[in-house]
Parts: sequence; structure tokens; C-alpha cells
Amino acid sequence: MAASFVSNPDPCLDSSRKKRRKVEDDRNPASTTQVRWRSDKEQRIYSTKLVEALRRVRQGSSSSPAAVSGGKIVKEAADRVLAVAAKGTTRWSRAILRSRLRLSKRLQKCRKARVTGDSRCKRADVRRERRRTPAVQKKVKLLSQLVPGCRKAPLPNLLEETTDYIAALEMQVRAMTVLTELLSGAPAANRLNLTS
Amino acid sequence: MNRALPEMLNCMNAPGGLVAGNCTDMTVLDRQRTRMRWQQDQFQQQPQQQHQGYFGGNELNGVFNHVPIQASQVQNFQGLIGLGGDLGMGQAVKPDLSSENGWTELGYGSCRFEMNNISRTFSCPPKVAAETESNNAVAPAKISSPAGKESFKKRKADKAQNNKAVAEDDSSDKRMKGCAEEGDSKITEQNSTKNNDRESSADTSKENSKASEVQKPDYIHVRARRGQATDSHSLAERVRREKISERMKYLQDLVPGCNKITGKAGMLDEIINYVQSLQRQVEFLSMKLAAVNPRLDFNIDDLFTKEMFPANMANFPTIGMSSEMTSSAYLQFNHIQQLLQCSGLESGITSPDSALLRRSISAPISIPETFVDTSCFTQVQPPTTWDADIQNLFNVEFHQGRTAQFPSQPFTGSIEASNLKMEM
Repeated sequence: MAASFVSNPDPCLDSSRKKRRKVEDDRNPASTTQVRWRSDKEQRIYSTKLVEALRRVRQGSSSSPAAVSGGKIVKEAADRVLAVAAKGTTRWSRAILRSRLRLSKRLQKCRKARVTGDSRCKRADVRRERRRTPAVQKKVKLLSQLVPGCRKAPLPNLLEETTDYIAALEMQVRAMTVLTELLSGAPAANRLNLTS
Repeated sequence: MNRALPEMLNCMNAPGGLVAGNCTDMTVLDRQRTRMRWQQDQFQQQPQQQHQGYFGGNELNGVFNHVPIQASQVQNFQGLIGLGGDLGMGQAVKPDLSSENGWTELGYGSCRFEMNNISRTFSCPPKVAAETESNNAVAPAKISSPAGKESFKKRKADKAQNNKAVAEDDSSDKRMKGCAEEGDSKITEQNSTKNNDRESSADTSKENSKASEVQKPDYIHVRARRGQATDSHSLAERVRREKISERMKYLQDLVPGCNKITGKAGMLDEIINYVQSLQRQVEFLSMKLAAVNPRLDFNIDDLFTKEMFPANMANFPTIGMSSEMTSSAYLQFNHIQQLLQCSGLESGITSPDSALLRRSISAPISIPETFVDTSCFTQVQPPTTWDADIQNLFNVEFHQGRTAQFPSQPFTGSIEASNLKMEM
């Protein structure tokens, strides 16, 4: 009996750790995500980083006037900043940051290779999961293509990533709206002041 | 665990009301151990043949024990959902244990059954130490395993009858612990309700756990519910389905307008549409930002000055602002933050009614204090239709998730001001 008591400390700690994790993990996907991406502080952080990134983009483009800061560049910068704001905890954020490092051509090659790999794996998976209707399967595939970095992810992970991605996108849209209005509203007022 | 086990011993020594209070504090592992100890007590009265299986059960419990210990160190939030259901069951452990002796045999038989499963599960992750342990554990049990299986089947009928006597049988009784490789996780079955997992002795189990602590694979431990298939494959599928449905529920909360839709296909459709629409919004906004971008640097100060002092908004003090323009960078970020915060607060207010985000600028000197009170956005109503749609969309989204408290703001005046702006 004494032996059992002596060896107790480890399981005790583990159980307490488990308990703590249980409480966290139960709330993990929903509340953590929402709290994280809906806080104003997060939005502020994102906006300031975005402004800096845009400024850098503009300066970069002014030095090389060929690359005009079009919408695409701005979008990529915005996505990159969003991925940075995610602090690398999610798959899509890591995928966005990874894709920035690669050249676009290499990325396309990797995409093609990944597709073939998917088809091979899919056959094995379909055998196991016969309950998935093909319609649902198609939609899952679509969704996995939408969320960056989740092409081969299993469905539970994919849904988790989607949750976080949607919340992050919402925050991005909010921040960019504010920024756009801020930047575009003033020139409008400028014009109005001049004309009035 | 250190504190829990003595409590559990006290529970067993003093049957009755202590169980409820203590069991709720215990984790699954602890409950498992209490049951195993009960089983052990029962076993000691059993004949020799079952003693052998008991011994096998010991090693089994050793296996079980060190698996959860390792599992706790691995992150898997799914694994602990079942604990919530299990906690409620813990109170019924006592009466079940004391009720029938047949339970012990049943649990014992299922232990042997599980032994075979464990040997399977151990082959899944490449952990050598665990495999050797499982081989050692399986060897003594295999002799009696066929008999165990048959007896297990027999006892299943008895168990079904016994189940009806138990109150808690209907509640879902799932236990899931961490599994590092979710795709290939094998599931160890613990058929039906609580009494199957009787740890034979805490001593040997812990010694085993210590000995084989080097590599601990993670498994999902699942209990089959009453009246459901107990096949390992179906259990695995059930676990997976529950995971998926839980995450779909989260998504349902996130995506607006999904409350009425049931079914995976419809939900997925909505989710896909929503993600696509969000991505399109980001594209539009980025194009818009790109158009405005050249003004980013040299205009940023002017922007703020012009914002602060629109000509038609006469009530805003201009003098105070100019003094602050010297620290333009600070001002820029400060204002961005304020405005963002206000917009965040504001959108909740204005969401259902108007597409306008209204803005009024507070006294500039006391900006850090008063921005919470009075600073909010006013906007010229976006002329383009898609802007208005997006605004409405935003407002819908914001309204759903926003729980922030916002102070009352003077809206009507600013609305008129913005209208004036438009006319001019």
C-alpha cells in the first residue's frame, strides 16, 4: 500500500493537469477562437501592423515603379499580416506564411503534386469511411481548398481550422473597412472642403 | 491523484454518501482505479482460474494506467469530453460494485477482451517498450482469452439485464483520452458501463507504469453506449462523428444564418459560401485600400487633421488638435486605435438599422480619456452598392458576436452632419 501512495504524485499531477486541460479543451475551439479574434485589442494590433506593411509595400513599389501596389499586393500583404497575427498556432496561418516564402511557380508545382497525392490517399480513406456521401465529400474538398493549408487535413481538423479562419477573416474585414474609410473618408472631406 | 486515492480508499471503507462528493473530484483514471480495486477485492474470493486472468488484468491495468498518464501529457481536447458524462456516472459506482458479483466476472472478461485489443493498439504506434509490455501482458491472458470471450458473450446477456437495474445506464458514457495519431487511432473497448474497468491493484499497476514509462502511446478510450455496436470500428467511427458534429456546431454559431439548417451538406454549403464571401470582401477592400494607398504616407497627418476638423462640423475644437499634430506618428496610431475601437463598439449599436457608422470626434486633448465616451465614427454613406451591402453584412456579423458594452453616444447630431457633408 505504501508503494501505491509513493507513486501517487505523478498521477496526481497528471490528473490535475488533465483536469485543467479538460476545462480548457472543452471550451477550446469556440470560445478561445471568438475571444481571440473578436477582441478590439487584436484588431488594433492587426491594423497597426497592416498600416506598416502597406507603407512598406508602397515604399517598395515607389522604388520600383513597375510594381504598382495593386489590389492583389495589398491583399497578400493583408493576409500575411493576418497570418502573423495568428502567431502560428493555426494551420492556415502557417500555410500563408509558408507560401509567401516560396515563389509562386514553385507553389503551383507543389499544388499539382499535392493533388495527385490527395487522390491516392482518398481512395484509401473512402474505403474506411463509407458513410460519407459523395456530395458531402465534394463540399469538404471545396472547403479544404478555400482554407489555406488544409487540403489534406482530416475533417475534424479542417473544421477547427475553418472556425479560426472565419473568425480571423471577419476581423480582417473589420480592420480593413475601418482603415479604408479612414483613408478614403478624409480625401472626400478634403474635396468637400475645397469645393464648398 | 495522491490526494484522491486515499479519499477513494476512504470511500470504499465507508460506503455511502462520501462517494458522490469524492467521485466528482476524481478523474477517470482515479475512478478506474477504484473500480479496479473493488475488482481486486472481489477477485480474491474467486477461484484459481480467474486469478490468472486477474493477473492478466493486473498487467492490463498497468497498461491502462500508464497510457492515460502519458495521454494526459498530450494535447487533445476531444479526449476529455466524455469525462463530463463520466463524472455523473461516478456516483453510481458504489451501488453497482456492491450489487452483483457477476459484474466482476464480466469486467474481468472484458479485461481480457481488451487485452487483445491492446495488443492491436500497441502495434499501431511504433513504440517498442509498450509492445514488449503488451506481449508480456497478452501472453498469460491469451490462454484464457477464448474462454474469456465466450464467457464475455454470455455475461453480456446478464449484463444487459443488470443494466436495466442501474439508473445511470442511459447517460452517455464515453471516455476519450489523447491520441496523437487521430487518423489511425485504434480504440480500446470497454464494453458498456462503469464496472468493467476494475483495476486489480494499484501497486502493480503503478509499478508497471513506472517501468514502461519510456514510450507511452496515446489512445482514445471509448465506452460503447448501451444498445449500440461495440465493434472497434464502429466505436472509432462514432468518436469521429462526434468530433465532427461538435465542430460543426461551433461553426454553426460562427456562420450567420445557419441556425435553421440541419445536416452536414447544407451546413457545409453555408460555410463555404460564407468563407468565399469573406474572402471576396477582403479582395474588394484590398483593392480599395490600394487605390487609397498612395495617400498613406504624406497624407496621413493631413488626413487626421481633416478628419478632426471637417468644415461643416463646427462644434469640434480645432486649436487643441493642432498642438497635437506635432507628434503625428503617435497621433496616427493613437487615432487608429481609438477609431478602431470605436468602430468595433459602434458596429454593434448600429447594426440592424443603418449602414452608417457614425463618427464624432471628442475633445482632442483628452483623447485617451474620452475616446471611449464620445469618439465614434461618422461616415459618408458609401455611394457604391457593394459597399452598402458589405456594410450591412458587417453589421450583421458584428451584431452576432458583439458583447461589448458601449456607452451612449450622440448620434442624431452626427447623422445630420454627415448628411450635410453629403449634400456638399
